[in-house]
Amino acid sequence: MSDTSILAAEVPAVGRPRSLAGDAWHDLRRSKVFWVALVLIVVILLMAAWPSLFTSADPRECVLSRQHKPAGGSAIFGYDFQGCDVYAKTVYGARYSIIVGVFATLIAGLIGAAFGLSAGFFGGWIDAVLSRFVDVMLGIPLLLGAIVLAKRLSSDPASNGVFAVTVTLGLLGWTTAARVMRSSVIAAKNQDYVAAARMLGAGNSRLLFRHILPNSMASFIVVLTILLGINIASEATLSFLGIGLKGDAISWGIAISEATGYVRVAAGPLIWPSLFLAATVLAFIMLGDAVRDAFDPKLR
Amino acid sequence: MRGNGPWKMAAGAAAIALLAAGCSGGSSDDDETLPNAISIGIVEPDSLIPSNTVEQNGSSVLASLFYPLVRFDDNRKPYTVAAESITHDKANKVWTIKIRPDFTFSNGEPVTADNYINAWNYGAYGPNAQLASYFFSRIDGYAQMQSVDADGDGPQKAPEPKAKKLSGLKKLTNTSFTVTLSAGFAGWESVIGYDAFYPLPKAAFKADGVLADTYGDAPIGNGPFKVKGKWEHDSKIQVEKVADFKGTVPKVDGITWKIYQDLGAQYADLLAGNLDVETKVPIESLASASGDLGARLQKSPSSAFAFVGFPMYDPQYANRDVRRAISMAINRGEMTDQIFLGSETPATSFVSPVVSGYRPNTCGDNCEYNPTKAKALYAAAKGPTDIKVSYNADGGHKAWVDAMCNQIKASLGVNCTGSPEAKLSDLLKKVRAHKSVGLIRLAWAMDYPLMENYLGPLYTTDGSSNYYGYTNTAFDSLVREGSEAATTDAAEKKWQQAEDILAQDMPVLPLRFGQNVFGHSEKVTNVSMDLFQKVDIYKIEIAS
Repeated sequence: MSDTSILAAEVPAVGRPRSLAGDAWHDLRRSKVFWVALVLIVVILLMAAWPSLFTSADPRECVLSRQHKPAGGSAIFGYDFQGCDVYAKTVYGARYSIIVGVFATLIAGLIGAAFGLSAGFFGGWIDAVLSRFVDVMLGIPLLLGAIVLAKRLSSDPASNGVFAVTVTLGLLGWTTAARVMRSSVIAAKNQDYVAAARMLGAGNSRLLFRHILPNSMASFIVVLTILLGINIASEATLSFLGIGLKGDAISWGIAISEATGYVRVAAGPLIWPSLFLAATVLAFIMLGDAVRDAFDPKLR
Repeated sequence: MRGNGPWKMAAGAAAIALLAAGCSGGSSDDDETLPNAISIGIVEPDSLIPSNTVEQNGSSVLASLFYPLVRFDDNRKPYTVAAESITHDKANKVWTIKIRPDFTFSNGEPVTADNYINAWNYGAYGPNAQLASYFFSRIDGYAQMQSVDADGDGPQKAPEPKAKKLSGLKKLTNTSFTVTLSAGFAGWESVIGYDAFYPLPKAAFKADGVLADTYGDAPIGNGPFKVKGKWEHDSKIQVEKVADFKGTVPKVDGITWKIYQDLGAQYADLLAGNLDVETKVPIESLASASGDLGARLQKSPSSAFAFVGFPMYDPQYANRDVRRAISMAINRGEMTDQIFLGSETPATSFVSPVVSGYRPNTCGDNCEYNPTKAKALYAAAKGPTDIKVSYNADGGHKAWVDAMCNQIKASLGVNCTGSPEAKLSDLLKKVRAHKSVGLIRLAWAMDYPLMENYLGPLYTTDGSSNYYGYTNTAFDSLVREGSEAATTDAAEKKWQQAEDILAQDMPVLPLRFGQNVFGHSEKVTNVSMDLFQKVDIYKIEIAS
């Protein structure tokens, strides 16, 4: 695989040979899974950025007399226990899910990349120490760690918990990314073009950032895409357990948690946010899978 | 491995849910050791030492272990139970209590006047820090048993109080003693029905005035039941019948007080037949409960009064019109109908309908839902644009606090948010430090059936539960005059005048009067609950 990429990266293209990314894109365009995931993600991103595109109702306007009323008018999903518009609440709930998901993944990605790069590139005792640390981190159950961390971080009752949840998930979720990064770096480091660059006198940082990192990114990005989906699900889990988002934050996890008690009276307020949550998580994981398939030469 | 991520997560969440259900499920098998025994669900009590028990769960367990001096009839009038007679002088100041000579503690010790005197002295002594200590404050000599810590929570220890015993308690014979109050109080006979006035056996003390360390885990009382083994924390407290008990003999041979963390788990156990009585059906199960339980779902009046206090130290709420406007912005009836499904009733008075002297709707216009008037009043009084309602997250209050906030938002056009604190004690700590907590969710259940119990502790300047710092000298003196009045009728008149002052000042928002909504299994019958939110353990029996 590296032969094509070295051509693309180092030598001016002659007759437009396709790079690895080009190959992947060529495959992706033919993948139905990819397009379904992409459409879902675009819709959810739109929802997060401009919820007013989807609903004109105010999700915080709750009138008790509408309690558990069936769908009607703009409230196409009906009303919940407090008489809030379930559709509006679900649409507005996308924002925090995306914010937490994206930023937690960024934090995890940065930590994972730093650990993976140093462990893979320098090897030796640095690798041994860092890898054992990753093993230790992997030994911490995510929920247990998150409960402890999120509780510590969100001691201020006035905050809505977004910062605490983002940092918690970021700090606990980077281990897989670090391992993937490390193995890709080790594979890339032994390639001929790296040896060639080193013989030409390239320093460590040039080798790392110009040659190794770009060629190790593919699988790393795939892991992060899947992690994004996992983080969104984890945010909902934490919010459901009452240690995630709180206060007047609107979140799918909180909505699901509030609706569980009344599921025998009205199931809608439980089902709709759950469906949106499931669809979002699924979309990111499908995207990750599709991209991995496209980048994996063995599957071609 | 990659694709597994979210499923692992779901499995983790499910495992936590199962764990949560598991640890409160309790073990149902070993409860059946006594054929004629029943189980009643409670929450882990704070304490089982009578003078330190001020919450309902511990109080329920103590009611099976101890026998009170007086109990109350259907008209809330006290009648003697463990006491043979209770008499008083003309000024209601010196009370002579004769106890029945035939009673013994469950360890065989006879119950004597000393047992009462020692127990009350222990409860009143300041350094013992007993939560129900304020019940003894009417007895002469209480003030000498308290000491003030000069530097608050600082490093210096508080000086030792001047006295170790209440000077107002005098032993006459082995079975009689006198209680001298610091001021006359016609209602005193009702007060001594409370848990704090139970006697303690000699075995409870390891030295004079010092309680044995293990006593609280297996209290020995003068009641119809005794603890089997000891209090198994977060699991259960098993009690069994005392042989030839001299008072009213219960119909069951034993009670297992099963401890739960969650009302929902308790309800599930009730449906599954692992629990015989649930004293509080959770709100979210109310809708399905009548279908689940049929005639086994029951309701009875209780003394509970739910209200929201205004922080009187916060200048934002200093204007009476702000408080009145917020009160008028709330639709109490809609809340009790929609959130509590009629299991509680709207409160428009400051004392519960269960006590004598109650008048309906003393709050008048101030408690009537009137959004237009509320909005105009609020704007004129320049109330805050951001209202916060603080509540404790472990009590199931979120649903109605959110609903109330939504009503305030809609009526007044201001922002309103509920702000949870983990525990009530955390919230009260902030209130005492005069932090900005906004409105404070509170509730009250009576200790003794007198109007005064809803007024004195909650609103007098030095009231034990006046957390929000309301003070009004006219109110204070009316409550005091009522307490010192020669007859209860005269007392109630004064107390009603005091209540009228509250209706004008609105230091709190009256919201709801409670009801016992309880369910029982098919195994038991004759289940009833009293005003104090306790199951009547003398009536309940196994269904034949």
